[in-house]
Amino acid sequence: MATLERARAKAAPPHPRGDGSRRPFWTARRRDQLAGYLFIAPQLLGSVLFVLIPLALVFWYSFHEWNVLAGSFRGVGADNYRALADDPKLPGVLRATAFFSVGLVVLNLGLALALAVLLNQKLRGSIVFRTLFFSPVVVSLVAWTIVWGFLLQKNGGINAGLDLVGVDGPNWLRGETSSMISVIVVQVFKNVGLNMVLFLAALQGVPRELYEAATVDGAGPWRRFLRITVPLISPTILLTSIITVVGSLQVFAQIAVLTQGGPGNSTTVLVYYLYQQAFEFHHFGYGATLSVLLFLIVLVLTVVQWQMRKKWVFHES
Amino acid sequence: MSSPARPSTRSTRSSRGTLTRGKPVALAAAGLLALTACGGSDGGSGSDDGPVTLRMTIWTGNEEHLKLLNGIAADYREQHPEVQEITFDTLPVESYTTALTTQIAGGKAPDLAWIFENSAPDFVTSGALAEIEDDPDVLPSAKKLWQHEDKLYAYPFSTSPFGVFVNTDMLKEAGRPAPAELIEQGRWTWEEVAQTGAAVRDETGEAGMVIRDFDYKLWDNLAAVWGGWGAAPWSEDGRTCTFDAPEMTEAMTFLHDAVFVDEALPAPGTTANFFAGEAAMTVTQISRASLLDDSFGWDFVPLPEGPAGSYDVIGQAGLGVLADGDNVEEAVDFLAFMTNEKNSAALGRYFPQARSSQLDAGTLAKSNPQLKPAQLEEVVIGGIENGVVKPTHTNQAELYDAVRAALDPLWQPDADVAKTLQDVCSAIQPQLEK
Amino acid sequence: MSHKLPRRVRLVLYGVLLVLLVPFVFPTWWMVTSSLKPASEIFAFPPSLWPENPGFGAYERVFDLQPFAQQYWNSMYIAVVVTIGTLAVSSMAGYAFARIRFRGQNALFLVVLTGLLIPSEVTIVPLFQMFNDWGMTDTHWPLVLVPVLGAPSVLATFIMRQFFITLPAELEEAARMDGLGRFAIYWRIALPLARPALAAVGIFTFLHSWNLYLEPIVYLSTPEKFTLPQALTQFTDAYGGPMWDVQLAAASLTALPVLAVFVFAQRQFVEGLAHTGLK
Repeated sequence: MATLERARAKAAPPHPRGDGSRRPFWTARRRDQLAGYLFIAPQLLGSVLFVLIPLALVFWYSFHEWNVLAGSFRGVGADNYRALADDPKLPGVLRATAFFSVGLVVLNLGLALALAVLLNQKLRGSIVFRTLFFSPVVVSLVAWTIVWGFLLQKNGGINAGLDLVGVDGPNWLRGETSSMISVIVVQVFKNVGLNMVLFLAALQGVPRELYEAATVDGAGPWRRFLRITVPLISPTILLTSIITVVGSLQVFAQIAVLTQGGPGNSTTVLVYYLYQQAFEFHHFGYGATLSVLLFLIVLVLTVVQWQMRKKWVFHES
Repeated sequence: MSSPARPSTRSTRSSRGTLTRGKPVALAAAGLLALTACGGSDGGSGSDDGPVTLRMTIWTGNEEHLKLLNGIAADYREQHPEVQEITFDTLPVESYTTALTTQIAGGKAPDLAWIFENSAPDFVTSGALAEIEDDPDVLPSAKKLWQHEDKLYAYPFSTSPFGVFVNTDMLKEAGRPAPAELIEQGRWTWEEVAQTGAAVRDETGEAGMVIRDFDYKLWDNLAAVWGGWGAAPWSEDGRTCTFDAPEMTEAMTFLHDAVFVDEALPAPGTTANFFAGEAAMTVTQISRASLLDDSFGWDFVPLPEGPAGSYDVIGQAGLGVLADGDNVEEAVDFLAFMTNEKNSAALGRYFPQARSSQLDAGTLAKSNPQLKPAQLEEVVIGGIENGVVKPTHTNQAELYDAVRAALDPLWQPDADVAKTLQDVCSAIQPQLEK
Repeated sequence: MSHKLPRRVRLVLYGVLLVLLVPFVFPTWWMVTSSLKPASEIFAFPPSLWPENPGFGAYERVFDLQPFAQQYWNSMYIAVVVTIGTLAVSSMAGYAFARIRFRGQNALFLVVLTGLLIPSEVTIVPLFQMFNDWGMTDTHWPLVLVPVLGAPSVLATFIMRQFFITLPAELEEAARMDGLGRFAIYWRIALPLARPALAAVGIFTFLHSWNLYLEPIVYLSTPEKFTLPQALTQFTDAYGGPMWDVQLAAASLTALPVLAVFVFAQRQFVEGLAHTGLK
């Protein structure tokens, strides 16, 4: 496709502003339209094939009872959706999901921005720090969670550290709230490096002169941050927040390893629950129904964020 | 269940046919795919005419195991030239069920599969497995889990009894008698274990008794404890919850006190690894003996007695033929070959076999070089012959998770044991009745 | 540019950074040093900071037990192909959505964005059915096609679109005056300017492919075709328990080169990004 496009570019008359008497079918406008379609064709085809069709199938499964082991598959109408409404576990799952996502997004973006601001100071060795903060991103998830499982023990490293400053730490993975906090924090440390790098790049693009001018006008550091930095990096904030929100709703490996959804059901978030229903409990149809629910939630959140960009984001027209 | 009318269907079945068999879902899937005008390459493996290939999913990637399995497969192929290839696909333990389920759902079921003990009822009763040949040499107690309506659906290829590993050095340090002495005096009981555990904790600071793998989540491992009280999670027919029965309440009260009052067991959220010398005793399967080195003196003894006397518990894994596979008949035949007398003896090196012909200390000693014949006699033979499998039930995974969640409040110092156990029952009784 | 912070501020900053580093660095440190420990020492409690008798035995066994070099190559080439493919597909789509006006543009963009919203656990079964139908199980095709064309590349397209939207329109108009067609504008004008955005997308994509876990396990069954995260799970002892020293050695082997690349590339990456700006 690329070659075709290039050939067309070459074949195009070098100076189209010449004789305007003839009106060929392939006007510049039409050609441009076609180019647009051709440019997005691979992505569009892929989306239809690997996203929309599977999604349609999942939607279709959600009207069926499908036990993979028994090989049974029968239509049950809206039964799964009725079950969804009556599922006594679901409100707790949704609460855990909300807690997890909000906590993760706030902590992740806050910490990423703070680190980026710190590392954006003129400090010797900031490249070393940058690398070290980034390093968990490339560490195997298994090794990462094992170590954290250790550190979060009652007599583990975290509590030993807290003990030094005279605090008696909780039994992190056994308390309902503390286990949720633990899962969030472990996930944040693992991935905050990516957002940090994006913020850092954005910060370095903010012209220094603006700060200097503001300083001359008597603005303090906090005011400079709010009035200059935040608006200028707002596109990055939008981007990272969308990535992080969506990502937070899809995390489940850490939960599977660290808490298995417990204690009680306190860390059973929606993805983990739908995974359990589909793959562990063999209720594929109901799992599909939960997938539809998850999809709708993510959809709504993303649309909301996307709408907010007009208000918040500096660059978008 | 689909009927394995092999030779005639094999040639006519396209890869799409494989996909749709038994599942109308895939019809629609195929229809949708056809719309995208991309489907249709005829790449189904094993479903074409000609030589048969067999595929078996396992959860070990261990070199020695694979060598053993491939050796057996090579022997079989020599005798059966129509079987061209036998492959063993290792799926990681923690994603085993996910990957296997996806493959079955996606229309690419393996011909044979290892099956976890706790998914046994789901596989056995759902019709997912084909019936296999019943070998009378295999002990009835070991087959029970894998039978449904008097037919055998999987071969128990590993039957491993639970026992107690003891760090004798640590007991000496704590000034407590060795279990071997207690056994001689007929005093090897859970009460003694609790006292010993508490003494170890006081004297050495290390952990007393560890129920290995339990970690206050995988509660079925507690079967090795409550068996001593004659307790069980549900009635024999699986329809009534018995978590709130008096013997279970007593067993759990004992356990709760041992953890939070005597501190004989490490509390939730603390790790102690027996094999790294961090605990005095551990309840686990015999197969873990391989983890021992000679850094401390150790012994291996049967489970302690409870108020209800002595008891045995075993852990199992099965090997079954997927009814949905392409070559059911060959797979059943291969399974029979793989588990015949000669090959099962070879398997026994790694996976304890519950066959009467192999249940003597001499045979067992060959495969368990770390253990003395007396230890084997006591734990293994008795265990395999009389052992109760860990609790299982249809719809196991969901039930398991429900119990896990409902039991969590028990693992607090001030828990109300009786009430928590009643809550467990009210949480799972509706599921049991289903 | 030459603002020097006061000494005291600098010291405080260093202190804060050092404290913050601990939770980031310790697990990595533990992974690497533990791979040098004998198996019995790995889970000693509390964890030791340095092995008593460091040894590289585990590293040798990594290569003995699995076709690890082959698996390394698989992961590497798949990640590279996926990265290049994604850069091509997403930069073109992102460019079109940002700079070309065509009918149904917004609707189509929304259609594409759907991919951003679906966790892979949700669609793994239908996708597996599809690839099995096409005879592509136990090949690397699903690991290439889905990331390049499917859901994972949508994020890339999104980033690219956000970048291209900020390009000044005058650049393109000038190029048009010179008689360049759409593809030439994209290829010769827009793409060179997009280097920083491409770098960001490249790193995201490479890491995503490099760490892919569920998909290889489901699709691949021959050890010679395995990818690294999948290979890590294969180091098990005679009873199916993980061989931790070997697994950690293998995990270190998979992490360190990526980290090294980041060290070398980050200057260009971060500062490049800043220049024209994915702001």
